[in-house]
Amino acid sequence: MKQFVIIGNSAAGIAAAEAIRKTDKQSAVTIISDEDYPAYCRCLISYYLAGQVKEDKILYRPESFYKENNITLLLNKRVERVDPKKNRLICADKTQVSFDALLLATGSSPRFPDVKGIKKDNVFGLRTIKDAMLVSERLPMTKAACVLGGGLVGLKAAYALSKRNIDTKVIVKSKQVLSQMLDWTAAGFVQRRLEEHGVELVLGQDAAEIIGEGDIKAVKLDSGKAIGCELVVVGKGVKPNIELASETEIKTREGIIANNLLQTSIPNIYTAGDVCESFDITMGGPSINALWPVAVEQGRAAGTNMAGGNIIYDGSLGMNALEFFGLAVISLGMYKMLEGDSAYEELVLNNAKEETYKKIVLKNNVIIGVILAKNISNSGVFLSLMRNKVDVSVFKNNLLDDCFGYPAIKDLVPSEERIYV
Amino acid sequence: MKQLYYEVRKCLGCRSCEIACALAHSLSGELYKALGEEKLSMPREKVLACGGKNYPVSCRHCEGALCVDACMAGALVFDKQKGQVMHDAERCVGCWMCVMVCPYGAIRPNILDKMPLRCDKCTDKDEPACVAACPTQAVIEQEKVKAKT
Repeated sequence: MKQFVIIGNSAAGIAAAEAIRKTDKQSAVTIISDEDYPAYCRCLISYYLAGQVKEDKILYRPESFYKENNITLLLNKRVERVDPKKNRLICADKTQVSFDALLLATGSSPRFPDVKGIKKDNVFGLRTIKDAMLVSERLPMTKAACVLGGGLVGLKAAYALSKRNIDTKVIVKSKQVLSQMLDWTAAGFVQRRLEEHGVELVLGQDAAEIIGEGDIKAVKLDSGKAIGCELVVVGKGVKPNIELASETEIKTREGIIANNLLQTSIPNIYTAGDVCESFDITMGGPSINALWPVAVEQGRAAGTNMAGGNIIYDGSLGMNALEFFGLAVISLGMYKMLEGDSAYEELVLNNAKEETYKKIVLKNNVIIGVILAKNISNSGVFLSLMRNKVDVSVFKNNLLDDCFGYPAIKDLVPSEERIYV
Repeated sequence: MKQLYYEVRKCLGCRSCEIACALAHSLSGELYKALGEEKLSMPREKVLACGGKNYPVSCRHCEGALCVDACMAGALVFDKQKGQVMHDAERCVGCWMCVMVCPYGAIRPNILDKMPLRCDKCTDKDEPACVAACPTQAVIEQEKVKAKT
């Protein structure tokens, strides 16, 4: 009988708890969250804000989940300190929780830029269901809104606000949206789609100040121009919540550093999810891929290993699927080759008229990046080739064909079952 | 637990299975009416040619499926009893995460409907429509056999 404690009640935390319970029905499992809500689909909060997903559909697991799995859920509880020597946690309410194995799945927080006025009321991040509810409450009093940042969170926020008939402008420092995951061409498709549907993009400019006494009046740009609005949503990326670890001897860099068992530098303390700095398969180095599927994968591996299992986690890769007003786009790994390095090669099919775009980035004949717009069906096949680092030289010329698919790679990647006889 | 297998050397690539599948998932279930339906029904499987052979590609209902892990809406669940990945259309938001990760490319996006399409094993019928439609009996439904590749 052990004490398993998990800090964080989202994708990684839940996957870990489920993994522990798969092999260990007896030990105590406690999940601690500083949020006031049972596990919910974090990525759906923009859909909730848009009014497309109601509150009853946002729960990630049924309400009976914790009871059925004999998991103690401590909500609204902030852990203040981890004491690795005494294997215990000290919480803000002065209570203590002891553990035999601990998972730090503390996630990340919105990064607020250092802009004058950023601390004003009605400037929101969009990370938690509470954030979405707060923004939603303000909408009846809002005519125009500014979104800072043209990343996925910023654009999803803009999409939601425009669905709620708010006049929305997105202020993007870069000259294109989604500069972390799309090249110029694919970003252009997304931009056109957003603008056609009334989301205005202000590219190549940054916010310099949020103006207004009490209520927000406008966002002033670095060009000097001001955009009138009553509400600001910040989507300028996230920072991993590493504080609990960085105040101890647990090793951190940008995130909490994990080995391939998802252990931190202290063997009975594990980490998973947005806070976990593990290995990136395409980049070949340490990296954080703060993504839902990655969090689930890591949480499961960490939980299994906490309960005495032995899952070797060989790393993650960046991947994103997005959909705006009927345009589907997928981005995997590195979307651009390094110029002037002959190891790299790009295969491109661009049909601007039909808005279809396929791009495959190769390094030494191994796929390290893919962008697909509109026709996204084969994405998982490419992902599989990337994960398994398959040399694609033999079918390189067929990769962009519409009829290219799993049959071409079936003998090159591991498969659970043989269904072709 | 039953699973679909394909005897590749028998497959002619005639796509009768694709048509039967689309028809089985149409509103009317009748070819002429189905063609006139407002939302044209689409097949859950696709026959791909490779190296002179034809391979029907459709959802294998993997245990420990990557799509289930990736589903950020909690709309996909692996039902152990049925041995099947179940899709809850009420919860699905059409984010395409499942399409992104399926290593078989077996989930296809219906962009207009914002719904992923995948084989549901025709559990409401005596046998899957593709099995019934195949003129050469290349599609076989039988108990699952675990084999390492």
